[in-house]
Amino acid sequence: MLLARVDGSATATIRHPSAKGWKLAVCQPIDEEGNDIGVPLIALDDLGAGLHQRVIISSDGDTLRKWVHDPKSPLRNMITHLVDEACAPTGDPA
Amino acid sequence: MKIGKIVGRITMNHKLDAYKGGRFFLVIPQSRADLESDTPVDVPKGNSSVVFDDLGADIGDSIAFSEGGEACMAFCDDTPVDAYNCMILDKLNYTPPPARNSL
Repeated sequence: MLLARVDGSATATIRHPSAKGWKLAVCQPIDEEGNDIGVPLIALDDLGAGLHQRVIISSDGDTLRKWVHDPKSPLRNMITHLVDEACAPTGDPA
Repeated sequence: MKIGKIVGRITMNHKLDAYKGGRFFLVIPQSRADLESDTPVDVPKGNSSVVFDDLGADIGDSIAFSEGGEACMAFCDDTPVDAYNCMILDKLNYTPPPARNSL
């Protein structure tokens, strides 16, 4: 699971049948201070995440295939949580 | 699923029967800098991926492709595929907040 920030949305008319009807969010993985890590990812959004909201995305394709009711779905990422607050320990670890 | 831009087509004479009905494209994964710039990517830069496509994408299209174990899930038989085109993106509303210290 990755902490990420929603940086936008995407529309796709032609998509794999298992992705039909799902909202798509562009998610940027971030660290605990909000800095970008890596490239943005497209994730299925069932929770209605808002722009620049912090979310947790799962990269567990196995569970996602059960969620979309298609054992042959190639999809991978999905928003599983909307984050209220992410706290990181401050100072040097003891 | 990563966002990618199709920059090239790959054709071949011999391939496994399981790949029938699909095409292979050369795709550049899009970073934040690529998505924010308006200039289209003409020349492949950086590392590109070979993506299997059976949705009918073409050169210049933006796609979302999945990598790893999920890429070969859509096939009936056990087929080795590293990257699979999941969707052809029509429009991308991309409005990231102002850049901070990007890693």
